[in-house]
Amino acid sequence: MKLELSAIEKSFGAKHVLKGISLCAEGGKAFGLLGRNGAGKTTTIRILMNVFPADAGEIRFDGKPIDYRTVHFGYLPEERGLYPKKKIIDQLVYFAELKGMRRAEAIRAADYWLDRLEMSEYRNKRLDTLSKGNQQKIQLVTALAHDPEIIILDEPFSGLDPVNALLLKDVVRGEIAKGKIVLFSSHQMNYIEEFCDSIAILNDGQVVLSGELGEIKRSYPRNRLVVRSPQLPAIAEAFGNRAEIRGSELLLTLDAPEQKQETIGRLNAAFDIDEVKVFEPSLNDIFVEYAGERV
Amino acid sequence: MRQFRKIVRFELKNYMTNKVFVGITLFAVIAIAVVMFFPRLTEAIGSDTPATDSTRSVMLVSADESIAMPIEASFAAAFPDYDVRLAANDRAEIEAQIVAGEAECAFCFDSLTSYTYFVNNLSMYDANTAIADEVLRTLYQTQEMTAHGMSAATIQTVLSAPVAHETVMLGKDQMQNFFYTYIMIFALYMVILLYGQMVASNVATEKSSRAMELLVTSADPVSMMFGKVIASCLAGLVQLVVIFGSSLLCFHANRAYWGEDGMMASFFNIPLDLVGYMLLFFVLGFFIYAFLYGAVGSTVSKLEDINTAVMPITMLFIAGFFVVIFSMASGSVDTTLVKVCSFIPFTAPMAMFTRIAMSTVPAWEIALSVLILAGSVVGVGVLAAKIYRIGVLLYGTRPKPGAILKALRRA
Repeated sequence: MKLELSAIEKSFGAKHVLKGISLCAEGGKAFGLLGRNGAGKTTTIRILMNVFPADAGEIRFDGKPIDYRTVHFGYLPEERGLYPKKKIIDQLVYFAELKGMRRAEAIRAADYWLDRLEMSEYRNKRLDTLSKGNQQKIQLVTALAHDPEIIILDEPFSGLDPVNALLLKDVVRGEIAKGKIVLFSSHQMNYIEEFCDSIAILNDGQVVLSGELGEIKRSYPRNRLVVRSPQLPAIAEAFGNRAEIRGSELLLTLDAPEQKQETIGRLNAAFDIDEVKVFEPSLNDIFVEYAGERV
Repeated sequence: MRQFRKIVRFELKNYMTNKVFVGITLFAVIAIAVVMFFPRLTEAIGSDTPATDSTRSVMLVSADESIAMPIEASFAAAFPDYDVRLAANDRAEIEAQIVAGEAECAFCFDSLTSYTYFVNNLSMYDANTAIADEVLRTLYQTQEMTAHGMSAATIQTVLSAPVAHETVMLGKDQMQNFFYTYIMIFALYMVILLYGQMVASNVATEKSSRAMELLVTSADPVSMMFGKVIASCLAGLVQLVVIFGSSLLCFHANRAYWGEDGMMASFFNIPLDLVGYMLLFFVLGFFIYAFLYGAVGSTVSKLEDINTAVMPITMLFIAGFFVVIFSMASGSVDTTLVKVCSFIPFTAPMAMFTRIAMSTVPAWEIALSVLILAGSVVGVGVLAAKIYRIGVLLYGTRPKPGAILKALRRA
């Protein structure tokens, strides 16, 4: 499965919100859609889900223009909300039916997911009797119950305790393993880094960086080493102004990447080294670098 | 289509399990049952007809003794429910008695053709002077004719000569149709205002609870809008059928006790073709307003903004309602205003139905009105769905109508 957006344009009145967005997400992998608030993430997602049409551009699924009658979406919106006064099972079945399931199927699927997310005891309760985190898990069921090809999760981890976050990670990994396209939108970079093979960073309606996360990281100059050792001050002294202590680590900047092996050898020979590796920027660093521009 | 059916079923279930909805329906049924069983109950309790109120008295005052006697006799006959008595000619005393409530009113005669009427509060329905005028005129005529040599018997014959007449009704009996037209117009009025508000707040609730975020990505807005409106129409019809059905049952159970009550009988003997028109205009009128209410509901973000937002629609509807009610009360439903209203889709349901029920309308006019109305229902429905699609994602301050129109052109 492959989902491609090419040159999507959208304006609301005089406001040009999307300026030629192009993305490509593949099945069996998670895709991270990043951007600061107001960068155009939600608009992109809504256009992708056919809530409103794009002014220009094209969405293709497996090489053909997307057919919304056959391609199903599961969506966890950032603004959470269902019917607060209704029984949980009733609304889960309703949403699954709206997505095209038959009633019996919908009931079965809702029960399966309630069980999977350890929420079965709340089946016949009203939604507004649940805590925020549990309401979020219920909302997640609406995104997954109808077994969609494309799953869009907007800030899925916000408001979840660590145990529930683990549970959700497990569920998401399961869906990725089934070959589905999973689109993440989040500001919690650690989760994106953990799940997403590819990312796109939006800034002011444009894709300012996109590609495979590993490649992006490798594209940074590889002339820096990160050293962990109980002898950091001694190492720093030996390397003079090339060394910089950052908390519990030491950052060594070399003249050229080719000096890496030789330097690592020297370090291991002279000092008690716990770990030494090539410095790669974190997604957080990359995000701030690209999305922080034009602030 | 399947999605649409799911929406209708879900929304309908919402109504049927809504405690307020069920409560109002039950209350109406019980209230009507109480009214319908009232004659039977009073008979069972066996109350007597209330005795005439002897405290109501009329005072007659005449300076001229010669006319006092015949006037007293005639007034006693003309005011059978009152205690008619002659009183002394003392204005202050008379006024004091009336203000104190010892007498209801007083007539002070100068002659047979001139008098002063004293009363404390002049009721809107006070016909005493009209009766007195008539009594005095007859007395005067009799007196004058006697003076000119006519016998009492001749005078009697002349003054009370009967006139025979016969009515040939070519159109409708307005009196006969008045009650159910009135009730239908009121039912339409109540149901549209009630359910219109419900549709609007239903949409606004989905929006404020953010269930909308999920709904717009799950179902197409035309299905959502039509599903909601049709479900509310079905709920309204169910409610009306339950209320009118139970009142019909209660009426039949108590038919004997209602006896010759013309209004009740005329209401329950409504002709079938009128019932048909009633349903037709009811459904079309309901739809057109429910769509408008739904569209407006989608533009507000907070529930408390609904009342101000729906005001223009409510005003439009109430204006149409008053045009119809006033023309019904004036007795002529074929004024130019009502005719024009019967072709404007927003007023046609009430205006055209009233004309059909209380006057004779050419078939082509009915057909044209229904056609315009049905076309407008579809048009307004599609427009409402478009507004809905745009409105539901607009949060924050309510967009101005101009902004919505602009967005509509682009959509």
